[in-house]
Amino acid sequence: MTKKLLIVDDEAEICEFLKSFFEDRDFKVATAHNGAAALEQVARFEPEVVLLDIQMPGMDGLQTLKKIKDNHPKVKVIMVTAVETQEKIEEAMRLGADNYITKPLSLEYLEKDVQDKIDLLAKGT
Amino acid sequence: MPKNADLLTARKFDYQEVLRDVARSMVRLKRPDRLVKLITRFIDRQFGLSHTALLVLDPKKECYVFVNSKGSKRLPMGLVKFDTNHPIVQWFSGSQKKLPIQKDYLFLSDVKKMLSRAEFRMASNSKGDQLLAIQRSMQNLKVELLVPGYFKDTLVGLLMLGRRVNGRCFTTQEVTFFQTLAHDCSMAVKTAEHNQNLIEQNRELERRLQEIERMRSKEQKTYYEIMRSLAEEVHAKEPYIFGHVSEVERLGMMTAREMGIDLSGNTKDLLSAALILHDVGKIGIPDNILCKPGQLTQEEWRVMKTHVEKGARILEPLTDFKRVREIIMAHHEQFDGTGYPRGLKGDEISIEARIIAVVDSFHAIVSSRCYREGRSLDLAIQEVRNCSGTQFDPVVVDAFLRALKKELLKKGEVPGVLKEYSVS
Repeated sequence: MTKKLLIVDDEAEICEFLKSFFEDRDFKVATAHNGAAALEQVARFEPEVVLLDIQMPGMDGLQTLKKIKDNHPKVKVIMVTAVETQEKIEEAMRLGADNYITKPLSLEYLEKDVQDKIDLLAKGT
Repeated sequence: MPKNADLLTARKFDYQEVLRDVARSMVRLKRPDRLVKLITRFIDRQFGLSHTALLVLDPKKECYVFVNSKGSKRLPMGLVKFDTNHPIVQWFSGSQKKLPIQKDYLFLSDVKKMLSRAEFRMASNSKGDQLLAIQRSMQNLKVELLVPGYFKDTLVGLLMLGRRVNGRCFTTQEVTFFQTLAHDCSMAVKTAEHNQNLIEQNRELERRLQEIERMRSKEQKTYYEIMRSLAEEVHAKEPYIFGHVSEVERLGMMTAREMGIDLSGNTKDLLSAALILHDVGKIGIPDNILCKPGQLTQEEWRVMKTHVEKGARILEPLTDFKRVREIIMAHHEQFDGTGYPRGLKGDEISIEARIIAVVDSFHAIVSSRCYREGRSLDLAIQEVRNCSGTQFDPVVVDAFLRALKKELLKKGEVPGVLKEYSVS
């Protein structure tokens, strides 16, 4: 089964680094630099997991999260952000985020968490 | 061939020279982030690497974060961290004491070699797991060489070097050079951290000092207010002259102004406090003496005179009022040296005390006391003039009477005795 991951971050360097990291682990990876592009990619690329930044120009990560979850409830969304306030975390969880990882992050943890989400999907949960 | 050799020599650089430059920059640059940038950029240019990165211990977050990265395959800042239990951190933290400094670095190729040996021996132990994790992590970051920097046995920084673009290996000399740089970076980061802590501690101390000063001044103010009401209390014992304190203050300030005394800054407050508090020591004089209707005996006078020292003592806790205490101590000294308690004369008595002596006596004469009725303004003025040069400073007496005349002129009731005083 192909593992498909969408990385959404307004910083191109971060997208490129994570893309290369996950491609080395046999993921098919797409990237997007803003909310609108992310929604488009979710529809077209049909990823299992989305890594979603919060602070982005235009539609922010939380609004994007809501739209993804409204239209594609099966897609797992992991918030990956430098924003670490209780309100943001709670709001993300309320909107259905599947995890909330703050930057800087441990690559080992990120990899494990993405794999966990893939495994959950495989089990049909 | 010789031409090629020349080219090679030209490409080489003087390591010592570079290290001296770095050391100089360290001293010059207060901000270590600039030095760190300088070092990574330098390495990137000189050695032609795919990328260089520096990982530094963040003591607040208890993890290692990337502070800089250079090169075509550079790492994004602020994305990746190493927790203190990360296998690479563990490797250098644990092995640091065991390994001699010459070996204190790690090539990806060496990790691979060690792993193949471990596999060869079928050793499935924690060391093998650790090496595997290290290999994965180095491959994730596309790092060929790791060089640690320590500060007092703590792993502070980790220099990460990518693949050499021309495919050549690093020489021992180059690795030693990297070790020195990694060490310098760690030192710079630690020093800056230390400086920052000192600055913060300093700020905190200053804040506390200000707080203490604020509390102290508040306390002094409270004490002053208590003293003021005590001073009122002393005179309230004699109900006829309620308001003596504020009247003496008014007359005293008026005289000082007439004399042209500079009342800017806290001089005014000190004089005003001395005028208000001059008799506060009377609180310690028994009522039968203080309010005795009639002449005091010699013994009673002795007790009465102690109000000067008593007043000074009461004010001791007011450290801001040292000067006020001295004034109060001297307000019964006389210009000719016949006063008490010390028999000071002329300029030995402070100007404030000389002013109090005049206005206090004057107001005492015009006020009713428990032992007699208040006397006329004429008589009081006459009395003050009679004592000018003996009990009182003539300059003060002149100024006081001039000021008094000005005031009475406004009311249109100048007594004849004041005629000779010219009012400008």
